[in-house]
Amino acid sequence: MFFVLNLTHQVTLHPSYFGRNMHELVTHKLLKDVEGTCTGRYYIITIMDTVNISEGRILPGSGLAEFNVNYRAVVWRPFKGETVDAIVTSVNGVGFFCEAGPLSIFVSGHMIPSDITFDPNATPPQWTDNEDSVIQVGTHVRVKIFGTREEVGSIYAIASIKEDYLGANGCILMMLQKELARMIPKAQACDF
Amino acid sequence: MSTANLLNTNFEDESDEEDFNPQPQDASDGEDGGEDEDPSAQIRDEASKRRVEEDNGSGDEGDVNTRAPNDGEEDEEEPGDDDEEDDEEDEDEEEIAGPKRKRVKRDRRNVFLDVEAEVDEDEDEDEDDDDELGEGKNFIADTHPDDLADLPAGGETDDRRHRELDRRREMEASMDAEKQAEILRQRYANKGRSSRGLGESDIVPRRLLLPSINDPSIWAVRCKEGKEREAVFSIIKRIEERIGTKDELAITSAFERGGTQSVMKGFIYVEAQRASDIMAALDGLMNVYPRTKMQMIAIKEMPDLLRVHKTPPLEPGAYVRLKRPPKYAGDLAQVIDVTDTGLELRVRYVPRLDYGLHEDLNAPLDGPNGKRKRAPAGPRPPSRFFSEVEAKKRHAKYLTGNPQTKTWTYYGDEYVNGFCEKDIKIQAIQVADVTPTLEEVTRFSSGGDDGTENIDLNALAASLKASTANASYLPGDIVEVYEGEQKGVKGKAVSIQGDIVTMAVLEGALRGQTIEVPVKGLRKRFREGDHVKVIGGSRYRDEVGMVVKIAEDRVTILSDQNNSEITVFSKDLREASDSGGASSLGQYELWDLVQLDPATVACVVKVDRESLVVLDQNNQTRTVMPSQISNKIEKQRRGAVATDRGGAQINMDDNVKEHGGEMRTGKVIHSYRTYLFLRNPAQSTNAGIFVTRTSAVNSVTAKGIVQASAGPDLNSMNPAMKRNPAGGAGGDMAPPKSFGRDRSIGQTVTIRKGPYKGLLGIVKETSDNNARVELHTKNKTVNVPKDALAFKDKLTGASIDPGTRGGRGGFTPRGGRGGFGGATPGGGGWDGGRTPGGDTGRTPAWGAGRTPAVANGGRTPAWKSGADGGRTPGWADGSRTVNPYDGNRTSYGGGNRTPAWSAGGKTPAYGMSNDAFNAGSKTPGYSGGTSGGDAWGSKTPAYQPTPAADNWGSSNHSGGNSWGSNAYDAPTPGAAMSAPTPAAINAPTPGAYSAPTPAPYSAPTPGGAPTPAPGWGGGGWGAPTPQAMDAPTPGGPQGYYAAPTPGAYNGGMPETPAANWQDDGPRYVE
Repeated sequence: MFFVLNLTHQVTLHPSYFGRNMHELVTHKLLKDVEGTCTGRYYIITIMDTVNISEGRILPGSGLAEFNVNYRAVVWRPFKGETVDAIVTSVNGVGFFCEAGPLSIFVSGHMIPSDITFDPNATPPQWTDNEDSVIQVGTHVRVKIFGTREEVGSIYAIASIKEDYLGANGCILMMLQKELARMIPKAQACDF
Repeated sequence: MSTANLLNTNFEDESDEEDFNPQPQDASDGEDGGEDEDPSAQIRDEASKRRVEEDNGSGDEGDVNTRAPNDGEEDEEEPGDDDEEDDEEDEDEEEIAGPKRKRVKRDRRNVFLDVEAEVDEDEDEDEDDDDELGEGKNFIADTHPDDLADLPAGGETDDRRHRELDRRREMEASMDAEKQAEILRQRYANKGRSSRGLGESDIVPRRLLLPSINDPSIWAVRCKEGKEREAVFSIIKRIEERIGTKDELAITSAFERGGTQSVMKGFIYVEAQRASDIMAALDGLMNVYPRTKMQMIAIKEMPDLLRVHKTPPLEPGAYVRLKRPPKYAGDLAQVIDVTDTGLELRVRYVPRLDYGLHEDLNAPLDGPNGKRKRAPAGPRPPSRFFSEVEAKKRHAKYLTGNPQTKTWTYYGDEYVNGFCEKDIKIQAIQVADVTPTLEEVTRFSSGGDDGTENIDLNALAASLKASTANASYLPGDIVEVYEGEQKGVKGKAVSIQGDIVTMAVLEGALRGQTIEVPVKGLRKRFREGDHVKVIGGSRYRDEVGMVVKIAEDRVTILSDQNNSEITVFSKDLREASDSGGASSLGQYELWDLVQLDPATVACVVKVDRESLVVLDQNNQTRTVMPSQISNKIEKQRRGAVATDRGGAQINMDDNVKEHGGEMRTGKVIHSYRTYLFLRNPAQSTNAGIFVTRTSAVNSVTAKGIVQASAGPDLNSMNPAMKRNPAGGAGGDMAPPKSFGRDRSIGQTVTIRKGPYKGLLGIVKETSDNNARVELHTKNKTVNVPKDALAFKDKLTGASIDPGTRGGRGGFTPRGGRGGFGGATPGGGGWDGGRTPGGDTGRTPAWGAGRTPAVANGGRTPAWKSGADGGRTPGWADGSRTVNPYDGNRTSYGGGNRTPAWSAGGKTPAYGMSNDAFNAGSKTPGYSGGTSGGDAWGSKTPAYQPTPAADNWGSSNHSGGNSWGSNAYDAPTPGAAMSAPTPAAINAPTPGAYSAPTPAPYSAPTPGGAPTPAPGWGGGGWGAPTPQAMDAPTPGGPQGYYAAPTPGAYNGGMPETPAANWQDDGPRYVE
């Protein structure tokens, strides 16, 4: 789920950069340091703006100046139970890996509907139910996160496609189509 | 005795229920028969005897059972008892049972045994009752016509059966009247006393029939261990012998609860009114010791004596542990077969044979004569599957068998499929707390011919569940009750004491309450996605992963380390608080690069408890002990690079892709010579590690982009400032070269660092950076970096400020130096300033001193400013030289004052300038008149020129004193510039000059001193020494002055030939 957070970061600046454009440099450094990183709990997707840059304080010993920067950032934290779209990056016999943005997700074979089986002989190897659902590298899938493992600087997740409207993209469409068809009989004509 | 038998038999053949049920009636019949007064012991005895007989299957009804003819009927009707329908016939039956129980209640002596026995029976019969229920229902339907009559006609009931029943009733009616009378009497005799609440008959009596203080007491009598049952039997015998005599035994019952596992072994329990009765009854019996202290059992503990613990039946496939022979003590064995008696098992286990390797005295056979005294020599052989090849080597004569069936006999033992199969007494095995690990079990499962692993997890689970010893619950565990009354309750363990877990219920009706639950009915509860760690005896111990599947109590988790899935029991799991598993063993961690032997390196891909699995450079995995690793190769420096197939550079953490082959991609975690160890998190083998050669991969990291976007590192020196002046504008100007002889030659120095630290010597030669010092101590000349030299006064031995070593003795003020140091963080700058350009560094003073021109232009500032226009400020700062004194002003002052300064390299230049200034400022006058210095500092830039001038003047004359005076005079810019200068110069110089250290001083600045003087004196700025002026001042002064203190400068300007300045400026600026 995405959030806008007010965050604080400490930026240090070498004395050789002291000057009129210090704030610019500090902001630049903030972006470089923070944007696109993962705190272990969430990903900092982008920094919207800096709210406040404190006065610099010289650190004894090194002479670097330290600035406390308050900024607003858009962060994403994957939650258990969250449904995300992802792209399959790797497929093997125990399941497949996919990535939702920065987040690497594993979908175990136990969390794949039993009618979708692994076909190692296909090129590339794929999980398929021999109908319209084919999961191979590059497939867009919709998965539901079942658990996350938060480490320093990274997050991993496992997910399931063993529910309605989860799974390979085409499959989802089919399901939607069927669902629609059930609700609105005339929707069969509808073309996705 | 009787009870014990009963209990046992109840379990062993529960199918005999129907024979049992009549018994209570029999017992009551006996009493009905007018034998109420008889010692009930006798009755008990009869009853029990009969039971025993029935147990044995004889079912001899004619023997004691007076009501044999009815048995059949009752058997038929019995099931009705168990049903709780209150139709009449049923009632009848119940009434019979009811009064019986009631009477039992009244008859205290009977009460106990019956109660307990029945309670137990009830419990044990539950299942059978259930089984019989279906049958019973049919039966009831048949036997309750009244009910049926109530039913709508033509219901599902069958006419034919009705008629059948009618016929039978008629038949009964035509039976012998006597018999019928008896039946009726039996049925209705007790009607008046029929109990109420028949429906509760299952429950109420259980509570009401517990022993009270009015019941006989039970004493525990010591008995020889293992002879309990014998003792009880001899009591039976004695009862029989003495029955009807005057010394009939006055005991009510006797029983034992012996057994090897029992805690009650070594006792028999005798029930009697008085202890003396027991003494009398047991007197003279073998193996019983009534005279030792008898323990009376507390009333509330009585029921516990008879509580039955169901011993779990051993079934084929279950796992047990061997206790004997000692060689196999603790080994896991699997039950193949159980004999009917349950006393012997056929088990199979992995043998521990050494095939005569340790001949000959201790033949390694564990045959039937295993009791033979054998020294338990050394460690027992490892447990391995039987190998006939090995056996044939030495013991071919002991080996017979059939290679086809893989069945062998070796030393009298049978070996099948590598396992040893053997009949073992139940005493020699341990049934409880087996807790086989998956590893052990795997050996049993993988022994199959096809090599497939087929672990019977159910059998395993059964074995594991039986064990409560290692139930590893910890407070905080989420647990679920899966059996017992509270089945389904979920909660969080609060505390654990022994086998009791106190849990706070989280859901349901009991929510918020705390209940206590025995461990055996508990299991841990996880949800998919939970992050868990394997604890306990599994071989996956310490693995950490996420739950992907839960089936009953088997949990499949996806290991964090290598993305493999493992299945363990939930009892072996626990919520992982930390994300780290066991990723290190000693100093070796997962993904470390280690050296196995001089030619082999390997990457750790798995860390076990005692060993490591490594992937070596040849792409082979092996298991090594930490001791086999020669050392760990530290992760290479960032700089370590390799080249890929295309010659591009590969750094650590770069992403590379295999060229050809499987086209695997991965991140470089180690590079060793031509090998790369790559990690691909999506790969499940080898913890995602694989190894390739550098020449087989292509780097896929876009380097240029990364670098470009990175920008300068704002935490280190601004590269723009580092640029050499030679590089063009913005850089620092190189310190002016010092001309002539290095003044340090011939000086006495001590060496401040390095191997010669502390030694005294004389500088003989110098190069740019080094000095050759002739040591005083030994006749040796050594090369020492110049910055490691400390100059000493030749005579006094006092330290000389290097800056002053020129002989301006008067300069000594170290304070100036201090200011120096502070001003220029980099010592280098300082040194630079000092050594080659000691003069230069000293800028203003020196410069001035040296060359009149310089003196004019400015003072160090001149060259400094020459460095760049912006620097002028530097000079300005320089002018602030004062600052160093103060210490505060330094960088910031500079920064504030002149942006240019801050922009242009701060440090070195600054340092230099400081140096210079310090040097200049060092003039005694300065130091002496700190106030003067301050005044300077505080003075407006406009002012500075003057001081500079003064400086010069003073330095020219080098006269500290003169300086001082000058300085003092100087304060007024105007004065300094115009009038005073010459005067000051003229006046003090000589004196100062002569005063401090003429020689040194004269050496470096001989020309300078005089020159300026004339220069100054002559015309002040431009006039006398045009060239000189030109040289130093050009750009610098101009820029500088122009910028900060134009006015001030202007003040002075007029006097200096503008032309000169202008002309020279460009030269310097460049």
